[in-house]
Amino acid sequence: MFGPIVKPKDLREAVQRVAEGGRPLAGGTDLFVRIRKGLEKPGMLVYVGELPELGVLRATREGLEIGAARTHSELLESPLTEPFPILRKTLGTIASPALRAMGTLGGNLVNASPAGDSLVALYLLEAQVRIVGPQGERELFVQEFIQGPGKTGLRPGELVVSVFLPYVEGEPVSYFRKVGRRQALYISVVSLGALVWLDGEKITKARLALGSVAPTVVRPRAVEEALVGRLAHVEAVQDLVSLLSSLVQPISDLRASADYRRKVSGNLLLDLALFLQNRK
Amino acid sequence: MNPTQIAEGKAVGQGVLRVDAEAKVAGQARYIDDLGFPGMVHAQVVRSDRPHARLRRLDLSPVLAHPKVVAVVTPRDIPGQNCVPIIYRDMPALAEDVVRYVGEPVALVAAETREAAREAALRARIDFEDLPAVFDPLEALNPGAPQAAVREAAEQGNVFNAMRIRKGNVEEGFAQADVIVEGEYRVGYQEHLYLEPQGVIAVPEEGGMTVYGSLQCPFYVQNAVATVLGLPFAKVRIVQTVTGGGFGGKEDVPSHLAAMAALLAWKSKRPVKLVYDRDEDIATTSKRHPGIIRYRTGAKRDGTLTAVEVEFFYNAGAYQTLSSAVLWRGLIHAAGPYRIPHVKVDGYSVATHTVPCGAFRGFGSPQVIFAHESQMDELAKALGMDPLALRAKNALRVGDRTATDQVLEESVGLWECIERVRALARWDELQREVEEFNRRERFRRRGLGVSTVMYGVGMGAKAPLLDKAGAYVKLEVDGSVTVAVGTTEMGQGAQTVLSQIAAEALGVPISSVQIAPVDTSRVPDSGPTVASRTTTVQGQAIVDAAAKLRQRIDQAVRLILECPQFTLEGQTFCASGAARRRATLADVARWMWAHNWDMGATGWVEAAPVDWDPQTGLGKAYFVYSYAAHLAEVEVDLLTGEVKVTRFWAVHDSGKIVNPDTARGQVLGGIAQGIGYALLEELVSQDGRILYPTLTAYHIPTSADVPEVAVEFGEAPYSAGPFGAKGLGEVPLMASHVAVANAISRAVGRRLRQYPALPQRVLELVEGGLG
Repeated sequence: MFGPIVKPKDLREAVQRVAEGGRPLAGGTDLFVRIRKGLEKPGMLVYVGELPELGVLRATREGLEIGAARTHSELLESPLTEPFPILRKTLGTIASPALRAMGTLGGNLVNASPAGDSLVALYLLEAQVRIVGPQGERELFVQEFIQGPGKTGLRPGELVVSVFLPYVEGEPVSYFRKVGRRQALYISVVSLGALVWLDGEKITKARLALGSVAPTVVRPRAVEEALVGRLAHVEAVQDLVSLLSSLVQPISDLRASADYRRKVSGNLLLDLALFLQNRK
Repeated sequence: MNPTQIAEGKAVGQGVLRVDAEAKVAGQARYIDDLGFPGMVHAQVVRSDRPHARLRRLDLSPVLAHPKVVAVVTPRDIPGQNCVPIIYRDMPALAEDVVRYVGEPVALVAAETREAAREAALRARIDFEDLPAVFDPLEALNPGAPQAAVREAAEQGNVFNAMRIRKGNVEEGFAQADVIVEGEYRVGYQEHLYLEPQGVIAVPEEGGMTVYGSLQCPFYVQNAVATVLGLPFAKVRIVQTVTGGGFGGKEDVPSHLAAMAALLAWKSKRPVKLVYDRDEDIATTSKRHPGIIRYRTGAKRDGTLTAVEVEFFYNAGAYQTLSSAVLWRGLIHAAGPYRIPHVKVDGYSVATHTVPCGAFRGFGSPQVIFAHESQMDELAKALGMDPLALRAKNALRVGDRTATDQVLEESVGLWECIERVRALARWDELQREVEEFNRRERFRRRGLGVSTVMYGVGMGAKAPLLDKAGAYVKLEVDGSVTVAVGTTEMGQGAQTVLSQIAAEALGVPISSVQIAPVDTSRVPDSGPTVASRTTTVQGQAIVDAAAKLRQRIDQAVRLILECPQFTLEGQTFCASGAARRRATLADVARWMWAHNWDMGATGWVEAAPVDWDPQTGLGKAYFVYSYAAHLAEVEVDLLTGEVKVTRFWAVHDSGKIVNPDTARGQVLGGIAQGIGYALLEELVSQDGRILYPTLTAYHIPTSADVPEVAVEFGEAPYSAGPFGAKGLGEVPLMASHVAVANAISRAVGRRLRQYPALPQRVLELVEGGLG
């Protein structure tokens, strides 16, 4: 079904193997499913799960660097992710405990699924993706890195080493709502994440990100801007529901129709407003 | 002389730990794919990718060219008949001239490894000539529709079976009604999703064939293997392996797998393993019949039902399999557990070019129950009546006549179930809580839904020949007991419950009872393990055998203790009177053995007679019925249409409950499966093709989708059941889904008429305006 699995001794060898056409393997929670279904037939798998560079978890003055091979459960449990409640909220909804123990942040990222739950947090936090390849290292913002369903800015031979999350200023309220077809272990049909800065009941700044409603996670800038200066109340944002619906480009698939996704994208703004209103 | 009662009440009624639990939890139980035989090869089925086509040419030479291929089988290689006998004989083991559904087997490949078999099977070259196909049962009934049914197996055109009930005069009944409600309801497939996929291993031996497999009905499988190989039944042995769930899905389908594996084993002269992977299993094996169900129900202003008229259509798929029996159970259950003077029901199972549907927990009843229990709620709303009160008012009681005009002579606990669920859930208070919640919450609504059902235990009058059971009970020399029965453990707990019945009937501790492995050459044909009949019918056969053995034991005790009277203290027999002689059961067994006594006894039971007239649809359809009342609370998100079941209450009358813990497990599992049916489980198909046969697309409930459930049993004893027991297995599923559906309808104020209640569908209801 697939070629040999090699375990490079260091990052340099890993890059070399990947440049030879090897497919990086960390948790394997998506890759092995794809291989089993015959969607991919990699000639060689390059196991990067234990490379030290991909296992970093380091807080600096500017932010947090997370190695690409860190698992979702490690990140959920680490005290270092405490300043990023939105990350924890999204990671906590990924798949099941068993899969969270295997799946990695880097894997979720390079999968580049519009439904990737962690991506909503990475977009909200304006994360930077650190890449290494035959030509050396470079960095991309997550929104530059993700180019479409399954498509990333990785060039041949490159692999993701880590993700850098800059600290956000102030203390925004974190909100994440994942809509799907059951209570756990599901792929999102629509998701909305938000960081909202409040002065009393007034919104001073907002970042919103929607999953599963476009080829990539969407930041609805027009709504983010329109929210500034408004009260965090359902009534105060009612008129933005249709604007938000108009900013997404969903498709119809087996999980839901485009129409449903558009409608719910807008409706979730009301859920966010109610959440802010009820928050104490 | 009656056998003395020993240790009465020690085994039946106790929450005994499942006898198979430890091996399963520890991972020691060996399922079919864990087993291997020397020289074993692996099978892969070559399947049709067309819904309806003529097979013009089948070229397997590239398959045979694969270095690891050991054998291929086409219809020409079948030594017996090319037929998987179920109720009819229309389904071939391998399609011969025409394929009738996507996934139908056309040839078989055996290779040294599973991967090789798969690779090689892909090399098969098949020339199809596409023929017109039909997928929708209503379209299949149109004049000039493509013919899906094999003609000899159909009553007319694509109508496999048409069945009816005519009781009273519905026109008169509707004329007496003050309120009439009407509706059409639709349900799609439900997939069993047993944990262990289908699998068998066929082993050629001693001029015959032995098949090991994950299966419910070994004697069906024996028939299928004997048929395709042209062997006497005595040369065909079926051994059930530890079976990881069935739910009806392993009633008829294993016959097909076993026939195919046996054909390859016969040709290759090697053991052949055929185990489906999950996708293949979902795409090609039986499912619950999709249905279109039309109802009209009439009642007087006080809620008294006057008439019900039903017309329903089940999509049977390309072959009969069990559809006639499924349709019949749907027919008999269509009017619900109510006293209704005028009943008219017409049911049709319709052939289409789709995967054959079959048995699934509830067996044709959940579809019509969705409709009849929705109708009861619509009626309650129209009458301004409490939905529980409306049901209680019409609930069948002892002495009443069912929809088929059967007089219920005993064991009707429905009314008690309704009253107990009312008390258990604190119905009045609960309704106030929900109203309060709905006043308080902005974007969420809660709703309560109830349902009541009846279930005809056993095969019923459509298949009375199968409602029998045998048991062989043997006292071992050390006082332990071996029990051989022909019904199977598939995860439902039968071994435990049957052990309890044997222990109770013999007066021995349950730990000394061992149920023998099911092997058709060593156990009596006890009919199929279906229809919630095992505890009732098989259990009674054990009681019968145990009674015979007990007489002999008692006789031996009298001889040993040298006195006509004795008592029992714990597990020790004691001579009464002055003599102080004592003997344990082990002493007695040793004595019987030493005196060359027969230490085994066979028991046999034939279920109480039933009788039903197909012309009128009237008669004694089943020997007894089980009942249940369920109550669900759901929460609907008005912004997204998501539904969460928040609380659940269930009260069942299945007669005497042999094991309250395993019974509770049955109820919880059935509720989970019903929640899946109502809310989640959608198997999308297009032009006869199952589009996404995967667990990523087909959602069953997780533990997070199932709320806390309060369960109680109202035990109306059945005089002909072992210690008063009736059947339970299917009933929880039958009742649960529609309680959820009714709760959703109540929450949003509009009627849900189609399963599953996916968020998108519920949001559409919400957008239609909150009631």
